[in-house]
Amino acid sequence: MAGLTEDHPPLGNDNINEEIKHKSGKDIVETGGGEREMAPPVGSSIQRSTSRPQLDLSGAVIKGNFEEKDPTILLPNQSDDISHLALDIGGSLIKLIYFSRHEERSVNDRRKRTVKERLGVSNGNRRSYPILGGRLHFVKFETAKINECLDFISSKQLHHGGMDSHGWNSEAPKNDNAIIKATGGGAFKFADLFKDRLGVSIEKEDEMNCLVAGANFLLKAIRHEAFTHMEGHKEFVQIDHNELFPYLLVNIGSGVSMLKVDGDGKFQRVSGTNVGGGTYWGLGRLLTKCKSFDELLELSQRGDNRAVDMLVGDIYGGMDYSKIGLSASTIASSFGKAISENKDLEDYRPEDISLSLLRMISYNIGQIAYLNALRFGLKRIFFGGFFIRGHAYTMDTISFAVNFWSQGDAQAMFLRHEGFLGALGAFMSYEKHGLDDLMVHQLVERFPMGAPYTGGKIHGPPLGDLNEKISWMEKFVQKGSEIIAPVPMAPPGTTGLGGFEAPSSKGDTLRSDASNLNVGVLHLVPTLEVFPLLADPKTYEPNTIDLSDHSELEYWFTVLSEHLPDLVDKAVASEGGTDDAERRANAFARAFSAHLARLMEEPAAYGKLGLANLLELREECLREFHFVDAYRSIKQRENEASLAVLPDLLMELDSMSEETRMLTLIEGVLAANIFDWGSRACVDLYHKGTIIEIYRMSRKKMQRPWKVDDFDVFKARMLGSGEKKPRPHKRALLFVDNSGADIVLGMLPLARELLRRGTEVVLVANSLPALNDVTAMELPDIVAEAAKHCDIIRGAAEAGGLLVDAMINIQDGSKEKSIPVPLMVVENGCGSPCIDLRQVSLELAAAAKDADLIILEGMGRALHTNFNARFKCDALKLAMVKNQRLAGKLIKGNIYDCVCRYEPAS
Amino acid sequence: MEESGIRGKLEERESNDMPSTPPIDQVSHLALDIGGSLIKVVYFSSDCNCSVDDDQDKRLPEKNLGIASANRNYCTLSGRLNFAKFETHKIDDCLEFISSKQLHRCGIQMNSDGWQHEALECDKNIIKATGGGAFKFANLFKEKLGVSLDKVDEMNSLVAGANFLLKAVSSEAFTYRDGQKEYEQIDHNDLYPYLLVNIGSGVGMIKVDGDKKFERVSGTSVGGGTFWGLGKLLTKCKSFDDLLELSHKGNNRVIDMLVGDIYGGMDYTKIGLSSTAIASSFGKAISENKELEDYRPEDVARSLLRMISNNIGQIAYLNALRFGLKRIFFGGFFIRGHAYTMDTISVAVNFWSKGEAKATFLRHEGFLGALGAFLSYKGHGLDGLMTHQQVDSLPKSVCWNGDELRSSVFGNLNENGSIECSVQLSN
Repeated sequence: MAGLTEDHPPLGNDNINEEIKHKSGKDIVETGGGEREMAPPVGSSIQRSTSRPQLDLSGAVIKGNFEEKDPTILLPNQSDDISHLALDIGGSLIKLIYFSRHEERSVNDRRKRTVKERLGVSNGNRRSYPILGGRLHFVKFETAKINECLDFISSKQLHHGGMDSHGWNSEAPKNDNAIIKATGGGAFKFADLFKDRLGVSIEKEDEMNCLVAGANFLLKAIRHEAFTHMEGHKEFVQIDHNELFPYLLVNIGSGVSMLKVDGDGKFQRVSGTNVGGGTYWGLGRLLTKCKSFDELLELSQRGDNRAVDMLVGDIYGGMDYSKIGLSASTIASSFGKAISENKDLEDYRPEDISLSLLRMISYNIGQIAYLNALRFGLKRIFFGGFFIRGHAYTMDTISFAVNFWSQGDAQAMFLRHEGFLGALGAFMSYEKHGLDDLMVHQLVERFPMGAPYTGGKIHGPPLGDLNEKISWMEKFVQKGSEIIAPVPMAPPGTTGLGGFEAPSSKGDTLRSDASNLNVGVLHLVPTLEVFPLLADPKTYEPNTIDLSDHSELEYWFTVLSEHLPDLVDKAVASEGGTDDAERRANAFARAFSAHLARLMEEPAAYGKLGLANLLELREECLREFHFVDAYRSIKQRENEASLAVLPDLLMELDSMSEETRMLTLIEGVLAANIFDWGSRACVDLYHKGTIIEIYRMSRKKMQRPWKVDDFDVFKARMLGSGEKKPRPHKRALLFVDNSGADIVLGMLPLARELLRRGTEVVLVANSLPALNDVTAMELPDIVAEAAKHCDIIRGAAEAGGLLVDAMINIQDGSKEKSIPVPLMVVENGCGSPCIDLRQVSLELAAAAKDADLIILEGMGRALHTNFNARFKCDALKLAMVKNQRLAGKLIKGNIYDCVCRYEPAS
Repeated sequence: MEESGIRGKLEERESNDMPSTPPIDQVSHLALDIGGSLIKVVYFSSDCNCSVDDDQDKRLPEKNLGIASANRNYCTLSGRLNFAKFETHKIDDCLEFISSKQLHRCGIQMNSDGWQHEALECDKNIIKATGGGAFKFANLFKEKLGVSLDKVDEMNSLVAGANFLLKAVSSEAFTYRDGQKEYEQIDHNDLYPYLLVNIGSGVGMIKVDGDKKFERVSGTSVGGGTFWGLGKLLTKCKSFDDLLELSHKGNNRVIDMLVGDIYGGMDYTKIGLSSTAIASSFGKAISENKELEDYRPEDVARSLLRMISNNIGQIAYLNALRFGLKRIFFGGFFIRGHAYTMDTISVAVNFWSKGEAKATFLRHEGFLGALGAFLSYKGHGLDGLMTHQQVDSLPKSVCWNGDELRSSVFGNLNENGSIECSVQLSN
């Protein structure tokens, strides 16, 4: 395929080629007569000699389709001239979206290639051409400061395809006639300025088209994009793609437009109102003399509308008019109290006026929106536009109106990227970038420290390189103020959140949602898939612990904070303890603390928050400050120590009866799982003895019954009872956890046992480092080392393509021995101690197709996440609980209790 | 406070500003609608003619079709329904007015014998009242006038009042477009269902399916109180009427952001918006460095009026659409027969319905609730008067209740004037 890329075939040809290959692949399978076992050696040897893999028989067998595409490399010719920038230039804000490609990952490691061939990993048929993995960034500028925006574009060379374009775009001559897609009124107004300053032409896109395209993309592609907001409570809603349409999109700008959206590009403006954001600001300015929209909004948070509005209670002498469902606190007449008293404008508090105005307008919009939704039978109403700004009170009022009038039948929903609908739509209007094909699981949202804007204002330049980022974090600390949000320069009072009362209450504790901080960078990972063995992907929820329970959040916040100094030490040490490493590590600590603080105040700030997200955030922060692998040396040391005692362990195991061995193996997994740098308790343990001592001690303590103990059921499935021997599993997926003893003395021996019983074994490990978890990159070396002492492992590893150098030998030897079942390694697609099975790597998804046993090991993957997950095949969850609180909560047990949960296929 | 009367049966008079001070000895009766901003008063004053039904039949043959010939003994009381209003915060004026006219004495004080004894029943000192103030000011009435307010449900009253007006008073309803008033003849059999939009301080929207058959389907807090309240803050006007008057002379384009302002003078034809459509009310106030003082109060008032009228028209239309109602009647004190208000509401309904629905207004728009309360008297007062006679053979509602009205009331009226009417009383 690399060849194809260089040739820049037009799209149509590409498809045809694929068709042909697809067919010929099938032909070969047929003539090949099902000699599946021959596939790995053939594929591997050819892989090494040419850049383009030949037909892979096993792939054809597995998928019935051979469509080899490498989505991380390929960008067909027709995508090269895509501009990576789109703008929405509104009256007050410029919204900018730009795309940056993922850094080249080492796609040539031997494991990956082999796995690809074995499993027949392809990009699937969904897309006619692959799209780039990369990131979508969201940035805002004030329209009044358009020069900042131009500088930004210029410095990043966004108008020329971005700084990172060389290598895949360099062949194309720089286009002097570059075009940028833009929408919003300013697309007309500032077209000349863009031409003068950047030499680019602005191509105007229809505003409504963009809004709808942007909303459709967000709702389909981003998890936790939409949320409801009732009485201060935010709840994320995941909408099934098939049930998305039709919906009502209400865009609240200066005025309000209401669009009925029936599908992609299918919409109709059905209504609107002239009472919108402009009315709020315009009337508000006249009445309060506020200088900005945000100031006015800010004022409203301290207001009490009862001073200005006439309530039902005012008319009914404090009583409800319950007969028609009006409570005493219902507003009967907005500003109605201003008539009956001898007070002038000056006698009213601007705060009260602002709140009254906000309620009037929000409520009115909610009501008209609902009536229009009703008219067309639409159940969902999405609100977007600059008026909302994530302002809690505004959202509550709109929700209240929709809920009240619909009697709970219709729902008001808001979008986290509400401000970027138009810009996204403009971005989508570039043809052929393939973004519209992305599925929700292919986007990962991250929250780096790099986009320092707030309240519609840019504070300092967006942080491109590491150094800027570090100095920014340092400055952050110098400011000395308490860390309340990732953005330090925000005016006091606008960034924090905290308490919020229902609309009927006094407004002085209301705070802005500061939602522009809630927008992260979107990582587009077209290779992610939903794990195919999930029994019910729609209801699957990875997190076991719900962090919306504030005490729970507080606990984990403390755990993570306390663990931070140790992590910083490790990180510094991993990079040689240099000054630079120290500086970066400190910046990391501050950044992560700031995120934690932000989340403590607004748990839903970054979408639905689970422990898995929190742990991943930490790893992401480390990576952001260029700590590739903080536990590198520790992992290495522990691997070596464990591998040294592996032969003894294997001998010990081999001397046992099958039944005893099975128990010992499971005990071993549980015992070895004690080696976990993510657990505070275990880190303390490490100071008390060597790895082997701890392992032995730990294994000795493994007294059954364990707190959760399905071992007997598992054993019956494996060994049968009495004479009857059950059929071995065909393929087992082993989700491994930590390096060192955990993998070497725990999981490898178990894998070996499965192999011995004729079950193919796939070791599933992290794509990126997280704590001391073993990664898919490291595993082949560990396996190779273990193979030196064990024929079973060696044979299987060779069959699985993990021992490439030994490949020739095995081909010779295989004539005499029976072909061993293969041992393989796949990456799971994530870099977190937990795993969200809705987003796994393509190769794991492919490997899962033939699997009939899943073994999840360790707290992160078996307890924090997936404890309640149900699978289509047999599943074994093994972990030692190394946290007292979790033990109590999950299994009503104590620290160091063990979980051996076996669930036969559902 | 307005008070006027029309004399002369079955005649419509265009001019009705003749101040009338009903003589104490005439039949009179009182009902109140105490709203958030205004108190509406309806009372009856009789010319004191009691005639038997054959008299009346002669006079009103066509109105009397529903009456079986067996029901002979009618007495027709002729008189006027008078309308008055006060600002709620000047409730003392109202109390004084009632007191001065002795209206609360329930004065059914007939000088023709046979009726006098009924007056005694009225000494229970009960006044029918509706509106929130009926609760709030109950004690005040008790203290000041020694009367109890008998609270009548607000929605019931509104609907009863509207039904009464639409059926009994000819030329009550009219449409308004481009300065042209056009009276609607309402076919009684084709009246229901309709949407009644009562624009008081707030706005209530009621789907009316028949006599006493109705449902409050919607409403909005952006109503007359909002216009007046915001207007007072923005213009320092001293009264609602001043504010309306101001709006007459204003130009809303100074403050409103029009579609053309956004699209450089062009229409946004793709979505059917002309360049003169208001894109954002008060939207221009954001983009200029002008303070409140820099705007003419006239323009502010105009802008405000358009915003609120348009909004009410839109919400009303959407609700009419929802229930498939072709007719929307607008009432309530906000309108006050103000041409521009009616025009804006009409335009809004017409625009959003693409001409399908029509806004219709009522000449007695402000007194629906009070009339409804007035019609609710039973067992004492006028009603008692009637039930004293042939209760069984005649519907109780013979005189004052909506659709079984025996032609007793005709009207002739005009805004806030009085309605000349006859009350049939059976003997």
